[in-house]
Amino acid sequence: MRKLISLILLVIIAGGIVLSLKEIPFGISKIKIGDYYIKKGIEETGATNIVTSVVVSYRGFDTLGEITILFTAAIGLSAVLGTYRKRKAGEKVEPPSFIVKTGCRFLFPILLLVGAYIFIHGHLTPGGGFQGGAIIASAFLLMYLGCEGKRINENTSIVVEVLGALTFIVLGIIGLTIGKDFLFNFLPKGEPNTLLSAGIIPVIYIAIGFKVGSELAGIIDHLIEKNQ
Amino acid sequence: MVNPILLIVIPLGLAFVVPLFRFISKKIEKFIPFFALLANLIISLTLFPHVLEKPIHVSIGGFLPPLGINLVAGPLGILFAMLIALVGFLVSIYAFAYIKEKDQEKYHILYLLLLTGATGVVLTGDIFNLFVFFEILCISSYSLVAYFGDKPGIESAVKYLIQGAVGSSLVLIGIGLLYGQFGTLNMADIASNIHSVHSISVFIPLVLLITGFGVEAAIFPLNAWLPDAHSSAPSSISAILSGIAIEVGLYAIVRVVFTLFGASSILTFLLFLGVITLLIGELCAFNQENIKRMLAYSSIGQIGLIVFALSIGSLSGINGGLFQLVSHTLSKALLFLAAGYMIFRSGSMNISSFEGMGKKMPYTSFAFTIGAFSIVGLPPFIGFPGKFMILKAALFEQDILFTILVFLILLATIIEGAYFFRVVQTIYFKGEKSTPGQEREIAPLSVLIPVFIFVGLIVVIGIYPKLITEILESSASELLNRADYIKNILP
Repeated sequence: MRKLISLILLVIIAGGIVLSLKEIPFGISKIKIGDYYIKKGIEETGATNIVTSVVVSYRGFDTLGEITILFTAAIGLSAVLGTYRKRKAGEKVEPPSFIVKTGCRFLFPILLLVGAYIFIHGHLTPGGGFQGGAIIASAFLLMYLGCEGKRINENTSIVVEVLGALTFIVLGIIGLTIGKDFLFNFLPKGEPNTLLSAGIIPVIYIAIGFKVGSELAGIIDHLIEKNQ
Repeated sequence: MVNPILLIVIPLGLAFVVPLFRFISKKIEKFIPFFALLANLIISLTLFPHVLEKPIHVSIGGFLPPLGINLVAGPLGILFAMLIALVGFLVSIYAFAYIKEKDQEKYHILYLLLLTGATGVVLTGDIFNLFVFFEILCISSYSLVAYFGDKPGIESAVKYLIQGAVGSSLVLIGIGLLYGQFGTLNMADIASNIHSVHSISVFIPLVLLITGFGVEAAIFPLNAWLPDAHSSAPSSISAILSGIAIEVGLYAIVRVVFTLFGASSILTFLLFLGVITLLIGELCAFNQENIKRMLAYSSIGQIGLIVFALSIGSLSGINGGLFQLVSHTLSKALLFLAAGYMIFRSGSMNISSFEGMGKKMPYTSFAFTIGAFSIVGLPPFIGFPGKFMILKAALFEQDILFTILVFLILLATIIEGAYFFRVVQTIYFKGEKSTPGQEREIAPLSVLIPVFIFVGLIVVIGIYPKLITEILESSASELLNRADYIKNILP
């Protein structure tokens, strides 16, 4: 009976969404703000990657909120998991095989390099701080898989995390004092398609890259600890 | 004039700074929320007279509203920002002595983030930005509910997390549908075009948004998480969740219904939902033996009453609803703080363990009694003018429907009075003989100061409601004049 009722409710909801989706013209040029971003984005922000110009410049405040959400989740996770830190000793962990070990050692620096490349070039090519940071965190995940006993230093990761977020906020406040708007792009925009262009956008993305990388690595650290 | 964005940036920046204090001294971190919220309180008080003349609009990143994100510090936003800062400030003083367990650093970070999220929700003028801050508010409250790490805490936090996450996804789908139709995320821009499309295609986003925000606002039938979460969280967090978090959820609903959609036709539905929420909350509260669960159910009831008042849709109705909201925030925060300390002393959440508290902890019991009387709506406390304004506004409609609903509200108030008086009776008039010779235990100053500031506010505003009616009236008219709201942002 309960299943039937929930099924009926689901059908009603799905029907409603389909009805409204039929009316909504997704993706056509009626998306007026989107059009504006495409036409004026490079000129106004200096970033050739339009997605980056929207994420960091036009809607930079949302990005500040999003890195805060990630920070909240990481802190919340460590607050909750911190309770279960006393674990049974002697739980056996299978040691990694030779192939895994060598593979991880080989890939670790390359992944760091790729991650850094992606967030440094966030304003020029696809990708950005979040993606680059996630790749860097995956390098640390490999380290946990392949190198037994190695761990990231919790204090270092927290400091990197905090400095990354503070860079974002401080840049915003400098913009507020110079340009009267929070997150105002006060640096020269430079020539599009060069590394040193788009004002504060690459600085913010590098800060986000470091922050997201160390944060996700910290989350992995907290989750892995459980089985050690 | 101060830039209202500082209301968000100061607590956010300080929340990020807190982890650095582990390298200096562990003793400083508990003062960070105190200073951050004191700053917020001062800034919102200085903005207050400006806002009454004209709402302040701030663009971010140097882009004008439909392109970039903007903040709208109207009377309603500043009213909420002031409430958040005030309650957050007082509760941060309470936490000095109350939060001693576990990793306090994380508590203070999450606490600051929760209030930052709440402030962001009430100040932003962009629907997606509202969602982002709403997520900060929700995620930090999930983890704060589980802060003690005991079994009931984790269980209720997971319950809250699942329901909250479903609600947030619905909100996101709703926003996506709106963006697909209007190509913009600015609330004023959407509001100005809302009547230009087919009504079914805006009805679905409206339903999704109300349902999604309704989970946080604890409107029936979306409130199953609330009694568990509010009762197993630390008492200082229960005070914030009951006093701030559900009100902010309600703000989001009100903003969406009145400003974004201008949907006056859905108000009748919300009217019934409000009364049902009220009745169910009060009836459940009546049966509780656990003091914090009782207070949590009473919060559901009060939210129902506020929803009812706001859905009357007239200026005086919204006015009364907002007054009741302020009154509930102050009284319920006081009740949770006072009850929290009594639980701390008696070691049990059972109402029966409060026997003889009136002798053992005279000040805290006195404060609890004031809070209880205020929630019930006795003069001369702040709850009385609130309820009175709501009933007057409802009867002014001169509709048989409203008369019936008013009858039900009065019935709920009687139930409310019954269970609160039962607790007060237990505190003062029970068990004197069984526990003789108990010496008085005076709560520490960091508990008594915030508690008695709440008592002071409740009594002073109760006697002079005029102190806040001016900002309430302009907030109510901000909600009703959506044309003005649009015109101010998109000239």
